[in-house]
Amino acid sequence: MNRGAIKEQPVVINPCKACQPIGAMYATLGIKHAVPLVQGSQGCSTFVRYQFNRHFREPANIAVTSFHEDAVVFGGRRNLIEGIINLVQHYHPEVIGVVTTCSSETIGDDIAAFIKEAKQRLTAEIGAEKAAKTFIVPLRTPSYSGSHVQGYDNGARQYLEQLAQESKPNQKLNIIPGMINPGDIAEIKHLMSAMGAANNMLFDISETLNAPLKMKNSFFPDGGTAAADLVDAANSLGTIALSRHAGGGAATYLLRKFNVPAVLGPFPVGIYNTDLFLEQAVKLTGQPVTAEIKRERGLLLDAMADTCTITALKKVAIFGDPDTVIGVARFASELGMELIAVGTTADSKEFYREIGLIAKEYNCAPQIVADGGLHKLEQVLLQNRVEMLIGNSNGAAIAKQADIPLVRIGFPVTDRVGYQRRPIVGYNGSLWLLDYIVNAFLERK
Amino acid sequence: MPLITMKCDELIPERGKHTYITDTENPVIPACNVTTIPGDMTERGCPFAGARGVVGGPIVDIIHMVHSPVGCAYYTWGSRRSLPDWYSWSGPNKLDNAAFNRRYCVTTDMEEKDVVFGGGTKLKKACIEAFKMFPEAKGLFMYTTCTSGLIGDDIPAVAKQVEKTVGKPVFFAQAPGCSGVSQSKGHHVLNHEFYRQIKALREKNPDLCMKEEEKTPYDINLIGDYNMDWDIKAIIPLFEQMGIRVVATFTGNERIENLIKMPDAKLNVVHCQRSAGYIAELINEHAGTTHLDVTLYGIVETSKALRDVGKHFGLEKQAEAVIEKETARIKESIAYYRSKLEGKTVALYVGAPRVWHWIHLMEELGMEIVAMACTFAHKDDYEKINAKAKSNILVIDNPNEFEVEEMLHDYKPDLFLCGLKEKYIARKMGVSTVNSHSYEKGPYADYFGFVNFARDIYQGFYAPVWNFVKNNPSEEVE
Ligand code: SF4
Repeated sequence: MNRGAIKEQPVVINPCKACQPIGAMYATLGIKHAVPLVQGSQGCSTFVRYQFNRHFREPANIAVTSFHEDAVVFGGRRNLIEGIINLVQHYHPEVIGVVTTCSSETIGDDIAAFIKEAKQRLTAEIGAEKAAKTFIVPLRTPSYSGSHVQGYDNGARQYLEQLAQESKPNQKLNIIPGMINPGDIAEIKHLMSAMGAANNMLFDISETLNAPLKMKNSFFPDGGTAAADLVDAANSLGTIALSRHAGGGAATYLLRKFNVPAVLGPFPVGIYNTDLFLEQAVKLTGQPVTAEIKRERGLLLDAMADTCTITALKKVAIFGDPDTVIGVARFASELGMELIAVGTTADSKEFYREIGLIAKEYNCAPQIVADGGLHKLEQVLLQNRVEMLIGNSNGAAIAKQADIPLVRIGFPVTDRVGYQRRPIVGYNGSLWLLDYIVNAFLERK
Repeated sequence: MPLITMKCDELIPERGKHTYITDTENPVIPACNVTTIPGDMTERGCPFAGARGVVGGPIVDIIHMVHSPVGCAYYTWGSRRSLPDWYSWSGPNKLDNAAFNRRYCVTTDMEEKDVVFGGGTKLKKACIEAFKMFPEAKGLFMYTTCTSGLIGDDIPAVAKQVEKTVGKPVFFAQAPGCSGVSQSKGHHVLNHEFYRQIKALREKNPDLCMKEEEKTPYDINLIGDYNMDWDIKAIIPLFEQMGIRVVATFTGNERIENLIKMPDAKLNVVHCQRSAGYIAELINEHAGTTHLDVTLYGIVETSKALRDVGKHFGLEKQAEAVIEKETARIKESIAYYRSKLEGKTVALYVGAPRVWHWIHLMEELGMEIVAMACTFAHKDDYEKINAKAKSNILVIDNPNEFEVEEMLHDYKPDLFLCGLKEKYIARKMGVSTVNSHSYEKGPYADYFGFVNFARDIYQGFYAPVWNFVKNNPSEEVE
């Protein structure tokens, strides 16, 4: 069925993006004993919790200031102040990330002033010492601009703007993961520790959103980046933002403000990107790439050699967050696949540039779908007889309709289990992704 | 023992008004359907979720246009398991994997400039464009959300313009997230606005009404069933066996043309009385149709419902025959599960109605209810709970996360029937759960659904994993 050509559209069908607040909450849940407090109505917290629950299969603690009609008329001042006081008294969080929404931004809430007032009231009610134990950080994330990716970027940057403070050098390497999975973060930590490099993993969801079942009756999950480590991020050897679009802003802030060298990307999947990541880590930390890591690289190369005739010239389309797509697109090209289309959320020059580089290097001409959503991607995919789709669960219906395998990566993956635990980064992660891709083809034989 | 304050609520005395212990002698009604305390870890959603996600969403053959920034639309995309079989306008090999209403998320994706200059024009263009892309659509439903509500876009005017341009009905529900205390407000708004629009449509266009010769004396509407995991496959055949025809299901797996015919039915059978009781009353006011409130879960309640409906139509014998046949079919299975579940304790947490829908069902399985909670119940829901429940059960209105944890900890239910957000909390505490919102492996309604329900409870409960959790000292409380 031909739905006709799609131009600049007033309507978006099957968006390839969510809104800013979810990104800021994603970052917040990677902080130890932190709670996102959504300044808005309850849908904005409840829907996001559902998304996290479905993807991570874990609890996700998100509070909300519950805007009802009165907030619309009088503004969200009372809601935010009461919300903060309640949250502090009830849950004793170390960090509260006040996440704004389209409603509070449209009303024009003066978040900074409200927080100040809440702090004063807290000091009066529970004493200065107790009140000082909770960092309250405003995260401005109007949902009517940008996407979840930008929300993460904004959130991460605002945390560091509010918290990072210069003191003694700490000999650590900051890593800002972006909206990647617990499995990915664990893999990056593995690489760091194999190198003997001390890292300061910021917004670390590897344990907070991947927790064991143990009869522990505590409100907060284990793990997460301590607030003190966010403060200390100003004193690191450097910062690597694995996802330029989600965390790059924070890394740049640390560079400008505290002169902490910043490296933005690439998302370390595949040979080239992982090599580059390690090279930069070596440069910043002075630690070497060890035999263990070289062996991992060799195993990946070995698997690529073993399977190259299966992946060769297979037509592939990839969609998701810009950095993930850039990284995976290069890896797919390294596997000899032909890049037909890439879809993403952000209309970013960087994205075009990176995809352009890959296209040149691997002699392909992928179509870039940067707006218009997955519905547009679907048409490109059908017209070009693409043989594999790589992306999140929102591509399931498309893949089914095109009768091609969907290799599930990114966020959200809700219709299968376990992918959030598996890395696709580093040589190990890439190896797993390669197995997944190849097996998906083999199963169709 | 009337209202109580849970331990975790000492600092929020307000919450004490929302929690009580049932007492058949002295029933109390807690504070309910009131504002949520800011910063409370509430499980509630927003009115928009009630309108788009619950009541409007299951209409299968119309475009659901969410006039909002991307988030609201994205999060209501195919997420609720109110399943459809209307494989839309599928040609061979086309769209055979999901029906239209769950397959597509359609939104104006409002941006900053729309917020500043108004989104009406964009909405109009979006609707017209969407109709072009989906020429098979039978109509369109517009939903407003916080942003479009706050900036005050004139939705009725746009609806009229689009209707004129396209020549198909355009409905709308204005229930922005900030317009009420919970999703319940959205149910209410959608019921009212939708029915008003249906009435107007019928007046303008009598062709859309059911022709006299098509009518039968035994036409009913099934009101307030959203076809969770194919519940209507269990429900509708029962009525059909009695010789009753279901004209429309408001709104499980339903087409718009049938919904427009709702006023032509002879009786409204109301299942979810919280989210859809309104429309039954509106139809009554408008067309004089009576309605019957029913519960369609478990043998006792379903049989009562069939008897009531049978009595209304003078089809008592037919009802008895169906009840006998269906009960005989599942008796053995239920007895088996009862033997396994007898004496186990259970806590129920759902939106509201299913709490009281399931009280007798749990008794049929020999299970003892120790606690209940509702997200968006009103006074009449608590009246129904009090009428059905035994004494000494904890009841929490709009619980926060701490209250849920304290309840699980202190009341130690063997099983927790709850939704997605709570189930991961409960499991971390070693309590097995069954999804009470969209089920595990449904349908759960009616007779054969009851067997599924009992089976899932049994399977959740007897999974070997819980033994490891309970018997492994290294996993003990830290
Ligand atoms: S913005 Fe408003 S309508 Fe949209 S999800 Fe949030 S609370 Fe609901």
